[in-house]
Amino acid sequence: MGIDIKEKLSNLIENTAVAVLYLDCNGNILFCNKKTEALVGLNRIDIISKNWLEVLFKGTSNIMTKEMFKAVMEDSKNYKRAKDFQCHILSTNGLERLISWSITPIFNKNNQTTEESALFGHDITEIKERETSVKNIDDSLKNIFSSIKEYALYVINLDGNITYFGMGSETMLGWSKRDIIFKHISTIHNIDGNVFNLSFILEQVRLFGKYETETEIINKNKEVIPVMLTVNQFLDSTGKLIGYIFIAKDMTERKKLEYQIFQAEKLAALGQLSAGMAHEINNPLFVISGRIEMLKAEKLSQKVKDNLALINSQTDRIRKLVDRILKFSRKSTPVLEAIDVNDVIELVLPLIHYNKLPASKIEIEKTFEKNMPLIKGDLHQLQEVFLNILINAYQSMPSGGLIKIITSNFKNLYAQIQIIDTGKGIPAHNLKDIFMPFFSTKSDGTGLGLSICHNIIENHNGSIELESQVNKGSTFTIKLPFI
Amino acid sequence: MLYKILIVDDEPPVRDLFGDLFKREDCHSVACASGEEALEYLKNDVFDVVLLDIKLPGMSGLEVLKNIRDTHKNLPVIMITGFGFDEDLIAKSKQFGCSGYIGKNMPVAQIIATFKQFVKNAKEKGPL
Repeated sequence: MGIDIKEKLSNLIENTAVAVLYLDCNGNILFCNKKTEALVGLNRIDIISKNWLEVLFKGTSNIMTKEMFKAVMEDSKNYKRAKDFQCHILSTNGLERLISWSITPIFNKNNQTTEESALFGHDITEIKERETSVKNIDDSLKNIFSSIKEYALYVINLDGNITYFGMGSETMLGWSKRDIIFKHISTIHNIDGNVFNLSFILEQVRLFGKYETETEIINKNKEVIPVMLTVNQFLDSTGKLIGYIFIAKDMTERKKLEYQIFQAEKLAALGQLSAGMAHEINNPLFVISGRIEMLKAEKLSQKVKDNLALINSQTDRIRKLVDRILKFSRKSTPVLEAIDVNDVIELVLPLIHYNKLPASKIEIEKTFEKNMPLIKGDLHQLQEVFLNILINAYQSMPSGGLIKIITSNFKNLYAQIQIIDTGKGIPAHNLKDIFMPFFSTKSDGTGLGLSICHNIIENHNGSIELESQVNKGSTFTIKLPFI
Repeated sequence: MLYKILIVDDEPPVRDLFGDLFKREDCHSVACASGEEALEYLKNDVFDVVLLDIKLPGMSGLEVLKNIRDTHKNLPVIMITGFGFDEDLIAKSKQFGCSGYIGKNMPVAQIIATFKQFVKNAKEKGPL
């Protein structure tokens, strides 16, 4: 090796951006380069002949790293091969730098180890930071995507098979990616139904590049989900159509809200109409029943008397119906006072028997919360609610049964009253309409009782719910806020 | 004769029925169809009690009641309405000094009994 080369080699080692250290058999530093000085913040005089661990781990309390590094070094010597190791060292400005080390045992000409070794340290702090931030972006994108639950994003190929199933797809449709990939799109879309025909939608996408429509998709449990669907062409880099991209937004909540608003408006209109109507009916009705009352005093044949009684009872029926309608339509603000719901129920129980009830043996079992906080309520209105529900319970048990009345403190927020019967129950398809006015499952019901209860409880900022099973019974749960 | 009653209701069949019902109770009644007429009657005649419909053409029953109270502090005035027991209407009627409140939706016998009870109370204790 000529002098020129030796000098060049020495220059190369001196100027390289990698820290180079040469250690003797005891681990003392024989020489180092400029980068080493910069990295540890010491001059060469203070580095040479010092132990390498002392120089690299000066002032760090990171014994673990130090010991591990030492072990790697031993390992490299024992097995006579180069070893890589990453660790943090404390740099000049007190900040930790991440260094990727390569430890190499030095061999002599005969390929025997000399017990000396070389250390090459590459500062990878910035590279690592970049990697981490890219990974962070990746992770957060993944998180963002998987957090979007209202949108399902899925892709099909030209054969109609699902090739991607992402975003909220799994949540919305109930299918796991694994189970649905490569299944045909007809699994979730109605292909040839008259209304939401997918063939038609895809035709539009081919023609216009994109199509947006309200439609329905089917989840794993075969339930229909209303969605706002956008379908786009899926093109490869050459612009060739290779599939379709679907984005479906779940409209269930929105539809529910729209339905509620629609119902509320309908009810308000109905209320106004019935109040006006009831007033107009009450006047002639009063005249009819008044005239019947007058006629009763006359001398009449039995036949006429019988007929009069019939007219009277039918008029009375109308009168009661109109009365219910008026009560329903009236938005009377509750007259609020501090009351104990247990007292309200105790007041109601004796009133039940003033109503026409089936002559069956019915037991009442009361379980009352002893220290029930007071609620703010209208005593008369609440009495009406409980009376109504209890009468319904009686009527649902023509051959006798048990009514349980349970009051409890619900999370220190509400007085909860449960009225549980063992009666006929209400079929599931009727449950959602049970609080609607004029809806009745009884042949002689006006369908106003429970809707009045519902209105009253709502005016008290409470809630009323019904669970029911046919032939097992019904459970009404009412919650009224404490004062 | 028990009472002399002024009936104020715009519907003739209702007025007539009340007339007949009161006659049976040994009461004499005079009927008119509007609040304006009623106030005119009260200027020229003496009554034991006024039966006053709330929904009237022109002056409403509540306005008539207010006007009556300007001149007749202790005259029993009983409100009647086809709206039944409307809490707002009852509250307003009480505020204007009515002596009782009857819904036309009550059974007829009960209407008459309640009416008589209200008049009796009013004679003894004054307006509600």
